[in-house]
Amino acid sequence: MSETAFDTIGPAPTPTMDVALKIWRYSSRTGERELKEYTVEAPEWACLLDVLDIIKDRVDGSLAYRKSCRMMICGSCGMRMDGRAVLACKERMQPIVESGHVPVISAMGNMPILKDLVVDMDPFWSKIRAMKPWLQPGYQERPEKEYRFSQEQMNPIHKEALCIMCGCCVSECNSMEADPEFLGPAALAKGFRFVGDPRDGAQIERLNEYNGEHGIWDCTRCYFCNERCPKGVDPRDSIAKLGAESIEQGIDHDLGAKHAKWFVKSAKTTGWLRETELVPKTQGYVSAIKQTKFALGLARRGKVPIPFPPHVAEEVSEARALHDLIAGQGREGAKGIVQGERGLARIERSDAGGAKRDIAEVTPGEEPAPAGH
Amino acid sequence: MPRVAYYKGCLASLSAKELDTSTRALAPKLNLELADLERVTCCGAGDIHEAEPDYYLHLNARILAYAEETGADTLMTICNVCTLNLRQANWQLKNDERLLERVNQNLETVGVPAYSGNVEVKHLLWLIAEGEGYELLKQAAHKGLKGLRVAPFYGCQILRPSKLLGFENPDRPWSLEAIIEACGGEPIDYPAKIKCCGFPIIQAREEVALGELIQPIEQAYEAGADVIVTPCPLCHLSLDAWQSKLKDATGKDFQMPILHLSQLIGVAAGLEESELKFKRHVVSVKPMLEKLEV
Repeated sequence: MSETAFDTIGPAPTPTMDVALKIWRYSSRTGERELKEYTVEAPEWACLLDVLDIIKDRVDGSLAYRKSCRMMICGSCGMRMDGRAVLACKERMQPIVESGHVPVISAMGNMPILKDLVVDMDPFWSKIRAMKPWLQPGYQERPEKEYRFSQEQMNPIHKEALCIMCGCCVSECNSMEADPEFLGPAALAKGFRFVGDPRDGAQIERLNEYNGEHGIWDCTRCYFCNERCPKGVDPRDSIAKLGAESIEQGIDHDLGAKHAKWFVKSAKTTGWLRETELVPKTQGYVSAIKQTKFALGLARRGKVPIPFPPHVAEEVSEARALHDLIAGQGREGAKGIVQGERGLARIERSDAGGAKRDIAEVTPGEEPAPAGH
Repeated sequence: MPRVAYYKGCLASLSAKELDTSTRALAPKLNLELADLERVTCCGAGDIHEAEPDYYLHLNARILAYAEETGADTLMTICNVCTLNLRQANWQLKNDERLLERVNQNLETVGVPAYSGNVEVKHLLWLIAEGEGYELLKQAAHKGLKGLRVAPFYGCQILRPSKLLGFENPDRPWSLEAIIEACGGEPIDYPAKIKCCGFPIIQAREEVALGELIQPIEQAYEAGADVIVTPCPLCHLSLDAWQSKLKDATGKDFQMPILHLSQLIGVAAGLEESELKFKRHVVSVKPMLEKLEV
């Protein structure tokens, strides 16, 4: 029978699929943990969150998880699928169902589980609060006219401003597993969101605070945060920007900063890492001498190369000349970090503003200089 | 024979010379002609990226320019950290004409040839995990590994961020397992194989680093691995040299031998001790050699 106009009027029936999930159920009251499997009928367009809703509605009302906006804005529904932190509202189920795979759903990592898929976010929020996530403009008297900033000046913190504080980056942070007090990727990305804001006047104070024992230099560069972030914030890049900005501002007391600076020195002088000198240059000579027993053990195996004569790259003077040449080109500190989709466009156009020290160029009520000038 | 520019990086020149000698000995068996780069410097190891990022970019552009000058279209790396640093810079330079123009002007001012963007950065692992390289690997590994139980340890910066690396699924990688099988070993699975070894902060935050380092070693040990193999000399250094510190800190003495990727294949391909240089390891590989009756 041929299709008539009548057949196409009215909503088409929604095609459905059978979705199977295994969910780690947990009660912090009893400490019981159980992996339970559920199979429900769901529309083909269903995401993980829709499937959880169907399970809660039709199978087991005691299943606990967080949700709100259903559209990747509120950051409530962070959880793990097959060990990977995801937003439940962002994961389409159809390809998984078609592959025949039954995913395992569990609570996020690095935060205590309260019930099933709900974690205690209190430690997360206390670290966010520790960043003083509000503008500190640095003036007391009310200006006569508003300060005006161009989009270009705000672009350097565009990615950090996208953060919805879902916790997916924190869930998988390898440093935080070993040091639960590490401020972590979400808080430090929030920190750069203010350090890089041209309206903020507390850049130095902030950098000093973020350079503490559990701050910037605790990051082990595992890049799980960049990999997991559902919004493209790239928190690891934010931490690198904070590091570069700290060193540019002379805040380099941390061993991590000294370690990083030694690589610059090595590249300029011999071209290659001056490996044997790295420990004393990072930790200081007293601490290095305390490590003598360990170092001798390595030396027996040729793991402590003798620094003389140094291993020098040919034409290393070019590397030194490059360092001197670019020093005055306005890409110091965090401005030198090219990142993300639009790359330099964002950084180049931020020259009129961007970091705090350029704020003097912007007079209240006056149109900022056009981009690129 | 495909000619590749060979970037050996800092560690293979210094404390991990065994990685360089075994890679050079293996290359002809894998039909790879290595073009040496004498003028290049350190990639910055992520540290220059964090200290002086604009300098990081220029140092890596200079490496890419000299690699391009050899006429090869591939720059082969043997270290995760070199791979990420060079691929990140290459991606930035290739995707931003204005950036490339500025960097090239600077390079030419100091006498370095301009970079045209015609080089791809690839780790040795990627060149032999599939296709023709994999077929050659199977032929080269004629002595086999007699079912040696090998735990693959990927480390971080060959998997993540996948938008810059992208060779394989960063959560379900397969390349090391494929190579272990081709060599006649038995791959051991364990969750920490994609996690961090702690090396980047082993100087500045040793306790935190040890808390990361123990995971792969303990898990591989409990899964019954004879050895761990890694494509990264920084992972190798922390897994091998810092095991004694794990013992001091936790009382656990794993004695887990750690092999560079080129050494594992080298054993299966019948390389000599003068090329493998196992004597340079802190944790003895003798139990493995005895098991293989080498």
